[in-house]
Amino acid sequence: MIKHHPSDALLAQYCNASLPASLSVAVAIHLEMCECCHAKVKRLEAQNAELIFAQPQSAIDEELSADAMSLLAAITENDDVDDVYEVQPQTVAITKQYSYQLPRALARIPHSKFMQLGKISRSRIGLEDGALRSSLLHIAAGGEIPEHTHTGFELTLLLDGEFSDEEGDYVAGDFMWLDGRHQHTPITKDGCLCYTVVSSALHFNKGLSKLLNPIGSLIY
Amino acid sequence: MVSQQPATRCEPNTGNYTAMPETPSKELADALSAVADKRDKQAFAYLFAYFSPKIKRFGIKQFNSDAQAMELVQETLTSVWRKAHLYNNDKGAATTWVYTVMRNASFDMLRKMKSNKEEHISEDIWPLVEQHANSDYEFSDHLETQQIKNYLDKLPQAQRDVVKGVYFQDMSQEQLAEQLNIPVGTVKSRLRLALQKLRNEMGDRHD
Repeated sequence: MIKHHPSDALLAQYCNASLPASLSVAVAIHLEMCECCHAKVKRLEAQNAELIFAQPQSAIDEELSADAMSLLAAITENDDVDDVYEVQPQTVAITKQYSYQLPRALARIPHSKFMQLGKISRSRIGLEDGALRSSLLHIAAGGEIPEHTHTGFELTLLLDGEFSDEEGDYVAGDFMWLDGRHQHTPITKDGCLCYTVVSSALHFNKGLSKLLNPIGSLIY
Repeated sequence: MVSQQPATRCEPNTGNYTAMPETPSKELADALSAVADKRDKQAFAYLFAYFSPKIKRFGIKQFNSDAQAMELVQETLTSVWRKAHLYNNDKGAATTWVYTVMRNASFDMLRKMKSNKEEHISEDIWPLVEQHANSDYEFSDHLETQQIKNYLDKLPQAQRDVVKGVYFQDMSQEQLAEQLNIPVGTVKSRLRLALQKLRNEMGDRHD
C-alpha cells in the first residue's frame, strides 16, 4: 500500500499549475497510482473552477465586444473536432534483464539513453525546468546508493519494484520528499525504477566533491 | 522553492462538492453537450458569452497583459469548441471541465514564454481524457458483441447510427457523413461520445 503522498499544499499547486513542470509530472504519475489523491485533486479543481466561474444566470448581460464577436465567429467557422488523446504505453529496457512500462505521464516526454555505473543507471528526462533536473533512476537487484544528504531537495517517486532505507520499505507509487535534514541509504532487493527530481544548484557544486563523488554526478 | 513535507496518509475528502446553486450549471452542461452532439453554434455562443469575460479576467491576473489574456481566451474557447465531446457530465460540472481546459492552455502558454518551445505537455500532466489501463475498443467475442448491442440500444439514436455504421457495417467516417448528410466532424464527435458512454457502461458492469 502507498504510504507516502504529496502534501495538500503540493496538490493545490499542482491543480492551479503553479508547480514546476518536473514536479507536476511527479504528482501526475502519483495520481495514476493513487485513487485517494486523485479524488482530492478532482475536488480542488471543482473548487478552483467555482471561484473563477461562478455567476448567477441573471448577471450575464455583458455585451460582447466586436473583437469577441469576430473571435466567436472564427472559432465556430471550422467544424473539426480534436482527436481523443490516447497515449500508447511505452516500455523502457534498461538491460536485458530489466524492462518496465512507463507511466502514462512520461510516455510522450523524451528521455536520454541510460548511463550506467555499477548497479545504478540513470536517464535524463528532456524537460527544461530551471534549476530542477528530472531523471529515471534504476537500481539493479542488490544495489544501493551510498549514503548521501541533501542540501537542496530530492523528490523520489517509486515507479516499479521496491526499495528500503533506514525509515522503512517503499512500494510503487510512494512519493518521497527529502531535504537537507534527511540522510539515507536506499537499497533494493529485487531492483527498482524511480522518477527523481532534484534541485541541482546546490548539489555537488564544488569541483573536488564532484571528483570524489562520481556517483553524485551520475545520479544528479 | 517550496519545501513540502510529504503526507504519510491520504485523508479522503468527505462529502460531495456541489456547485453553488446560482451558477447555471445545468444550462452550461446542456450547452456543452449540444456543442458535442450537434455542433450547435448557438449553444457555443452562450458558453462563449458566459466564459470569455471570466477567462479574460483570469488571464490578466496570470499574464499581466491584455493581449496574452485574449490569447488565453482564444486558446481555451477553441479547445472547448473542438473538444466538447471529451466532456462527461457524469464526472463533474461544466465549469470544472472548462477550468481544466483553461488551466492547461495557460500552463502551455507560460512554458512557451519561458522556453520558447511549443511542447504542449499540459495534457501529459493533466490528461483531459481519463485513460484506463485496459482501454480498447476491440470486440473480442460473440458474447461481448451481443452485450454491446444491448448497450447500443441505450444510446441516443443519432449516436447509435454512427457506431453501427462504423463498427458493424465497416463504413469509413467520411462515407457515413455522406450517407447521413452531416459533417465529418459531427460523425467523429458522436462516435467519441458514444464510445465514451459505452465504455462507462461496460466499465461499470465489469467492475
